[in-house]
Formats: sequence, structure tokens, C-alpha cells
Amino acid sequence: MKFPRPFSTARLGFAAGVCATLALVAGTVAQSPTPAPVTDNSDAVYVGEAVCIACHKTQNNQFTHTQHANVFRLNPKNEKEKLSCEACHGPGSNHLKDPVSPANRGALVGFTREWGTPVAKQNSMCLSCHEGGQRMFWAGSTHGTNELGCSDCHNPMAKLAAGGLLKKPTINETCYTCHQQQRAEFAKRSHMPLPEGKITCADCHNPHGSTTKAMLKSDSINELCYNCHAEKRGPFLWEHAPVRENCLTCHNAHGSNHDKLLTVARPFSCQQCHSNPAGHQSNLYNAGQTVGGGAGISSRVLGRSCQNCHSQIHGSNHPSGARFQR
Amino acid sequence: MKRSFRLARRALVTGLGAALLPAVFAGPFADSATGVGTTLGNSQSQAANKTRELDGDWLAAKHTPTGQMFKLPFAPAEIQKSAAGWEFSGTVEFGVIGGDADERNAQFRTYQDIDNGVYVNQFNLQLKKPGGGYTVELSGGGAGRHDQYYGLQFGRTNAWQVKVFFSETPHVFTDRYKSVWSGIGTGNLTLLPGLTPGGTASTANDNAAVAAAAAANKDITLALTRKRAGARLDATLAPTWKGYFSYAIEQRKGARPFGSVWGNAGGTAPIELAEPIDYTTTDLLAGVMHAQGLNAFNLRLNASLFKNHISTLTFQEPYRINPPNGVTTTPAAGAYTQGRFDLTPDNKAYNARAEYTRKLPDFHHGYVTAVVSWGTWRQNDNLIPYTTIPNLALTNVTVLPGGAWDTTGALSRPSAGTSIDTRLVDLTGSINPAAGLNLKLKGRYYETDNNTDPYLAVNPNAVYVDADAATAGNQTRGLTLNGITGVWGRLLNDGSGQNLLFGANANPAGNLPIASTPFSSKQFKFGPTADYRLTKVSSLNAAVEREINQRENRERDRTSEDKFKLGYVNRGLGNSSLRVSYEYDQKRGSSYNSSTYDDAFSSALVPIPTVAGTNVTSWAARSNSGFRAIDLADRNQHIVNLRLDTMVRSNLDAGVSLQGRESDFPDSDYGLTKQTQRSANLDLNYQPSPHQNLYAFYSYQLGHINQASINGTGNVSIGQVTALGTLTPANASLIAQSPGGPIYPLLNTWKVRSTDRNHLVGAGLRQDFGKVTLNVDYSYSIGRTRIAYDYTIGGAINAANAPFAGDRMPDLATDVSYLDASLRIPLTHRISARLVYRFQKEAIRDWHYRNLDATPVVLAGGNANATPTAVMLDGGPADYRVNWFGVMFQIKL
Repeated sequence: MKFPRPFSTARLGFAAGVCATLALVAGTVAQSPTPAPVTDNSDAVYVGEAVCIACHKTQNNQFTHTQHANVFRLNPKNEKEKLSCEACHGPGSNHLKDPVSPANRGALVGFTREWGTPVAKQNSMCLSCHEGGQRMFWAGSTHGTNELGCSDCHNPMAKLAAGGLLKKPTINETCYTCHQQQRAEFAKRSHMPLPEGKITCADCHNPHGSTTKAMLKSDSINELCYNCHAEKRGPFLWEHAPVRENCLTCHNAHGSNHDKLLTVARPFSCQQCHSNPAGHQSNLYNAGQTVGGGAGISSRVLGRSCQNCHSQIHGSNHPSGARFQR
Repeated sequence: MKRSFRLARRALVTGLGAALLPAVFAGPFADSATGVGTTLGNSQSQAANKTRELDGDWLAAKHTPTGQMFKLPFAPAEIQKSAAGWEFSGTVEFGVIGGDADERNAQFRTYQDIDNGVYVNQFNLQLKKPGGGYTVELSGGGAGRHDQYYGLQFGRTNAWQVKVFFSETPHVFTDRYKSVWSGIGTGNLTLLPGLTPGGTASTANDNAAVAAAAAANKDITLALTRKRAGARLDATLAPTWKGYFSYAIEQRKGARPFGSVWGNAGGTAPIELAEPIDYTTTDLLAGVMHAQGLNAFNLRLNASLFKNHISTLTFQEPYRINPPNGVTTTPAAGAYTQGRFDLTPDNKAYNARAEYTRKLPDFHHGYVTAVVSWGTWRQNDNLIPYTTIPNLALTNVTVLPGGAWDTTGALSRPSAGTSIDTRLVDLTGSINPAAGLNLKLKGRYYETDNNTDPYLAVNPNAVYVDADAATAGNQTRGLTLNGITGVWGRLLNDGSGQNLLFGANANPAGNLPIASTPFSSKQFKFGPTADYRLTKVSSLNAAVEREINQRENRERDRTSEDKFKLGYVNRGLGNSSLRVSYEYDQKRGSSYNSSTYDDAFSSALVPIPTVAGTNVTSWAARSNSGFRAIDLADRNQHIVNLRLDTMVRSNLDAGVSLQGRESDFPDSDYGLTKQTQRSANLDLNYQPSPHQNLYAFYSYQLGHINQASINGTGNVSIGQVTALGTLTPANASLIAQSPGGPIYPLLNTWKVRSTDRNHLVGAGLRQDFGKVTLNVDYSYSIGRTRIAYDYTIGGAINAANAPFAGDRMPDLATDVSYLDASLRIPLTHRISARLVYRFQKEAIRDWHYRNLDATPVVLAGGNANATPTAVMLDGGPADYRVNWFGVMFQIKL
């Protein structure tokens, strides 16, 4: 297994730049379908979903299976929900006057790029029902600041996923459409069980925003990790400072080339903080110390390295556990 | 035939409905803002969807506002109707798998449980009763396997909903463990026949016996299975109020490799045990959400109760461990027959969180948001004695009645009594003072307050005898600190070591841990942000933030990081959307104190000696003073993100993204000195019709981590003449900790550069051939880590070992190939066959485990007469290559 030839930063940047430029040029020169929507629709009136369905049978065949349809048709709670199609798309009378011309697209709120409704308008329609709750921090969130539309992740017209009316069949596939870096991390040697379908990005993140920069679902990184790793919560009799403050000091959250999602291989990981005066912490461990390496073998480069002895590294409740050995 | 099938189907549906409806529990986490458990599935559950028929009537794929194609919807399910007014649809997929699916390799089996044989891949059933708005959904898959999952959801639309779920996740740590004990998975590991607790007089025989036992009991899988079940109720309490309550219980059971060690400071005969896992975590969650007009309010309460059903691990020891200096045992030889761990304790956590937003339409269309959260984590397990070995006696120490080392009378308190409170206040104010301009001011305070009284390592029921050379003569006394008098320090590793002040030779030391250190921290973040709309489709955003962290009992009391961020979004570059951002961060802080933990060591009890010639290393140096802990160091950081989405054609879109992060640590001469991460990603998606879809992607990641240190060596003594001056009690720390001083000679400097390089390439095809659908997904990932080092021969590594050390470790390498192919062949209108082929291959190289599987008893220099350097019973990860085939049948109700 050879070490692949390195891509220099310059070459990588050049290649990516070429790809980006080609994509940008191709996208820019291609004929844009984005229309200039009419903005004044204030005189429009509601026409009822039967009128919509008369032309949009295909859409209705899909929409019928959605949670939206269930709410609008089975048990609407207010006048707006009773509007069904027009609850989201707005009053349709002006659309009926000229349903084909791109110049008249402003007569309805559309949720595709082709339709051209401004994203802020799209989102305001969604939030007119979905305001508050888990979306309380949408404004100012990373996704909000980057002007994502709700329909960048959701398809409100079709049921592709088990829940959430997502644009892809799963939460993870939906997130990967923009977060390819994370997809690559989940392909590494140790990773969270996302590729195996056992957890999703939304187990840790609230894509609608939160009080943390990474849109985490807890007050802190550690509180989030304790949701699944409650045994690490302690507090322990003997605590390990970086463990208590931030799990990500030692671990990558998504995936790693190393065992246990570590940021760097042990013992070098531990040696980023530890350097005692006359002991093993500050020594340079090397290839000669592996089994068959030729020099004196060190238990610090075997197996779990430092944790061969300091096995209770997340904290110890043993009275002699100051060094996390019991 | 058709009629009987319909009748059977109706009977099944009616029966299921009747059976399920009374089973009203509460529900799992479903809201993406609360809790975990947002999905039910496994590694196979999406496979059936890959060839699922798409909606042929859907004219063309439209694009998201960013410009990515929506996936074409599946062909609508055919709705059946029952006489009772229920509309229903459903599918089930089951079949047979054959080939290598029963491969036991840990890398293959982690998080999934595929086996040859009959396999129920998935089933789902949806029922809807339009009259009344009732719905029921049932789903599941992987039946009988350790990655199985089931979900049931029912309720009245827009009124109330109940969800119930059960899911299992396997976590396989190794399939190459070699046990020398019976009782794996329990709290008692008993040596197998042929092995002697406490060892024999012949270490060579012990080594041979352990090796033989390991060889005879190899290829054992250590794994745990995570089983989680729960229920959640969501209800509309009033037109603008919603509430939810959920209960979930999770059991983790199994075993994993776990290190143990013996000896004075550790390092003697490390041997890998199997730690038993038998955890239960109970989560309770309740909340209300309100939104009306100008106000929105959320209140959430949750409790998490963790219990470890196996509180200690007692293991028999196959080697002759000698008592340390100053400790006598009866009998002296072979006394250390067993050791004991105190495993992770039970704990409880509670949290209450309130969130409130108020719109201010008359004040520049603004709003304010306030969040207050309070939590507490508590743990009060009973402590266990230092050792289970009876009759331990220590030189210079007399144990008073009730203070024996194998009893809790030797402890300063009987239980842990630890607690941490967390507090959060988060405020945001937003206004739009001009057209297209939004300003926000954000502030956040988060505190982790450890209220635990430091645990004092002292035996209050013991006294020193003639202990202090400075106070000659026979004496019986204890030392007093924090109101407790006794013998300070602690027995190590079941009494096979000891760190007692005035212990073995009556010589004091300054580096014996005598008190635990509770860590508390406070974080303040505040700063403005601005978003300015340039055009209808483009905007600029900027943010400035200061993050202040105050920490107790760390090397640095305070760090402050200023962050400057600038972003640009353009959603209308022709058919492209561009998002780009740059962030510059600068972290600085208060003075760095390498001796910050002095109060937790015996240096707090015994002043540094002043007598010339006395070794004072243990008082003077705990670390290299040029060293900076990774999380406290000064840092300059640049972060760049770029993402471009382009609709190349109406049915072909491309995405390019670049990320770069570069961190320098300007004040860190040693420790982490530099860190970079770069990645580039390209995605292509071609979806010309419901009958064809191709995609491809490639990701490249490159990361560097540079670190440095100095091999610590030697000691310092009062009066010692060094290049930095003559050592005195006053300057001992300064000289001893200095790079270039007697302990950290610059000749011993070493640098490590760890380079992670990863490639991930993937491609896939979905193609309809008439009514037959083919789907192929392929991916190949390469992961490499090269750890190279620089050093001076004769410094960090001596001349004899340098040829073996070379200039780097062997590369860590992982290559994974994955191919999944399905061919769905409709047999009837309702029944299809799906032919499945799966290929997975992984090659892995990890120098940590080099040659360990063959030689678990690692002998220093091959010396069989000495206790081993280590007994590594986990053989580590191994390659695998798997081909399996399946014939699955899909039946639509």
C-alpha cells in the first residue's frame, strides 16, 4: 500500500480553480431560466385546490402522500391550512390569467430555482406556518446567513423520505449535497455510523439553526456527545481537563484516519499536551519500537498506546486513579 | 387466487391495525432540535429504494433555489381501501443472502449485521382514515439481526401523534481478541486452567503459559450492541401551543479491549483485558412550544439517567508482580493475584432550557431572542478501596484500626460526591436600519461549574512513623491539609506501586498527586454581525466576535479569541450559486503557568528542599516551559470556504467546494505548532429522465499537524551548576523547565509532522431497461497518514537505535472499495425480484498492531525470563474481502 503521490497545495488549488471556473463559465453562459417575477400580486384571490388540481394532476398525485396534504385535507386547524395548495403558493387567480408565461410567475410563489421567487419570499411562506419551535434560530444561523431556501433541503410536494419531506430519501443524503467534506470524512477508517444508516446529521445538528456556530443541538459540544456517550459524563473523582472541556480536543466528530476518531495517532495525540521532565511523555517514539522494529520495543507504540496503561483516560472514580490507571 | 390474496391482505391489515392501535405509548425523538434518534434504518434499508420505480409522469427535474436538481419522486403508491374506511399501502422486501455475508471481520461488521440466510430487509405500511384524519405508519427492517429497527407512528393529523421505536446498532471492536480468562463480559475475569493467579516462580513458564492460552483462545469478537427503544407523544395543546413528551431507554451490552497495568508508576506488565459493558441510559424529555404573532416561546426539560450494571472489573493476574519498595505483603511472593478497576460510575443529568423570541416590527423590523438554560450532572458512586489484596504493610506507616488499605477506611471519603452545573444565557438583537441591511448583536455566556470538593488522597486512619528526616527521632504523626490529617499519597495499581509522601525511604517528593482537580470554565462570546443585500440575488455578510474563556486550575486562566468573518453569497451568477467566506481568528491569553497544578501535588504539603545536593526535580518541573497545551495556546487561524453550484444543463448540475483552514500557534515552541486542513470536492449529477440517472463525485483532503517536544532527561539538584545558572530553590522551576536547561536539552528536541491524505471517489448509475431497473453504486476511498520526525542522533534517539527509527513511522493506510448493484425485475404487478450483488474490500495497515496478532506476548529483547513489555491480546484490524449475493422479493400490498 503505497503512499499516494502528494497533491501540492498549489496544484490542488489550481485543479479546483479550473473545475470551479469551468463550472462557473458553463453555468453562466448557459441560458438562465431565471425569470424576473412580477412582484405585485396583491389583487389576487384564492381559487381553491380543485382548480389547481385540474391542471396539476401529476403534482397532486405526489402531494397526496405528504404530511402537508394530510394537514390541509384531513384536519386543517385554521383558514390558511384549508387553502391547501394556495396556503403555500399564494392566491392563484392571477396565475390563471396566464399560467404559462414566465413573465407571470410572480403571480404565484414557487419553490424551485426555475420559478424564480426570491428565497426570502419562499422562506417567509414556509415560516408563516412553521415559525418558532426548532426554527427559532433560523435567522442568523449559518444556513440562514448563506441564504438557503427551505426547499434547498425540503421537497414540500413529494414524500421521498420517511419523514421531513426532504429532497432526498434520507437526511444524510440531503446534507451531503452540500457537505461533501463531511461525506469524505464518514468514509474514513473510524467514523460515526452514518454510512451504515444508524444515525443522521440531524442527531447532532439542527439544520434550522441553534445557539451554537455549528448548529449543534445542545448547549455545548460535550453535552451533545453525552447524549450517546452518557458514561463519559461523570463527573469523575479524577478528571482530565481537556476531556471535561471539549471532546473535540482529541476526537474528530465525523471521521478519522485513526482509531477512535482521534485527530492524530497515539502516542503523538497525547504528546500534544504532555511533556514531563524525566519520563515517557516527552520521548520521541519511533518505528524502531514497534514489534519487529529492531530497537527496544515500547508498549507506548503498541495497540492503544498510552491507553494500554492509562485506560480510564476520560476520568477515573478509583481512589488511586489520578493517572487514570484503575 | 387474486381474491384470496386480497382477503388475506385485508385480514393482515385489519389485524395489524387492531393490534397496534391499543399500543399507545409515548414516542421517540423526532424533532430535529431535540434529542437523538432521528432515523430508523440500517446499511441495507436504502438499497431497496435505489431501484424503486420513479414517477414517469413527472415531466422533468426542477432545481432547488441553489440550483441542485430535486430527485425525481417515486411512483406514487397504489392506495387500497378497506371496508372500514382506511386507505392503505405498503411494501415488504425479503429474500435470501449468500456468499461472504457472514464474514466476521470487525471492520466489516461494525455498525452492520449482515449474514447469509433469510433476510427481511424492510417493510412498511401506511394507513390513513380520511374521516377523522387518523394515520398509522409502521416500518422496520433487518429483522432478527443486530442492526434491526422498527417504528410505529400513529395519531390524528394536526392534533396528536405517537411514535414508538426500537433500534439496534452493533459496534464490533475486534474479532481478533485472544482471551486468557473466562468470564468475558462480566465483572470477574478468571484465568483459564494452566495459568496461575499471581504467577509462578518461573516467569518464563508464565510467559509460555499465557502465550499458549492466547493461542488456544483466539479470534474472539469483542463487541457491544446498542439497543434503544422509545416512545414520544406530540400534541397540539391549543391553537398556538404544542407539547411533547418522550421516554427512551438504551441498553449497551458487550465487552471491549481495555488496558491494565501494574507497578509503581505503571508500565509493568500491561495486559489487555476485556472491559464488560452493561449500561442503561434512560432519557426523559418534555417540552412546550408556542408561536403566535410577535412571540415565540419554547420550554424544554430533560433528564438523562445513566446506570452501569457492572461497577467494578476484577481480573486475575497471570504474572508474578513484585511488591514495590516499602510495601510488604503476606505472602510476599505471588501476593498480587488480582487487580480491580472501578468502572464508569452511574450518573444523572438534568437540564431545563427556555427560549423566547419577540419580534419588534415597529423598531426597524427587529427582534430579540433570549435563551436561558440550566443543567446539572451528578455522580455519587460509593468508592472502592485501593486494593483487594489483604495484609499490605508500608514502611514508615502505621495503619490505625479501621484504616487497612483494602478497606474504605483508608479513603478520605466514602463516595464520589461530584457535581457540575452548567448555565447558559444567549441573547440576540436584530434590526434592519436601512433597506437591505440587517444588523445583529449577539452575546453568549456558558459556564461549566464543577462544585466537587477536591478528593484528597490521604489515609486518615494511618500515621507516619519516624518519617521525616527533618524531625529526627521516633514519631507518630500525620500531616494535615484541608482539615484532614493522615498519610498522604495513594497506593497504585492494587498496591503493586505506591506514591506515598514519606513512603519507602522516608524521602519526600513534590509530585505525588494528593488532591483531585475540579475543572470549571466560563465562556463569553459577543459581537455584531451585518448582512447587506447588494442585489436581488447577492449579499455580503460580516461578523466580528470575541470569545473569552476563563478556566480554573488550568495553565492559563484566560484566553481571548477575536474572530473576523466576511462572506459573500450570489445566487444569480447565470445558472450558478456562489458562496464564499473568509475568517481570521486570533487567540491570545494570560500568562502561561507550567506549574499550575502544584496545589494538587505533594509540593503543597512539603516545601522544596533547600539542602545542597537534594534532588528537587519533582518540585521544580512538571513540563517544558516552552510547551503549550493544545487547547490553551495562542493561535492565528485562517479559514476559507467556497461553494459553487452550477446547472450546467437543465438535467446536469455540478458542485465544487473548497475548504481551507490554517492554524499557527505563535507562542508554542513545543506542543502543537501548526495545523492545516484543505479539501476539494467535485460533484456531478445527471438526471435526464425518470429512467436514467448518473452521478459521480470526488473528494480530496489533506491535513498536516506539526508538533515538537524535547525528551526530558536527568534531574536537577540544589546547588547544581547549569548553563542557565546555579540552581537555588528560588530559580529551580525556571531553570528546570526551560528548554535548553539541564532537563530539556535542546539536543533532545524532536519534531513530528503528521500528514493525513484522503481520496474518495464515487460513481453511480440508475438505468431502466423497459420495466427492469439497474442501480449500481461504487466508491473507493484511500486514507493515508504519514508520521515523519526530525531529531538529532544522540539526542532524542541514540545512535544505536537511529537506524531502526529512520525518519518516519510506517504509513497508516486504509483502502476501502464498495460496490453495490441491484437489478429489479417486476414479476407481477405487485411482486418484483431484486437481484443484489455486494462487494466490499478493505485493506488496512496500522503500525500499532504490527506483528501483534502473531506475538501477543511482547518480550523485551526476546527475554522470556522477564515480565513482558506488554501482553497485547487484541490483534488489531485486518483486511477483508467480501462478495455476497442476494435474491430479494418485493411485494406491494
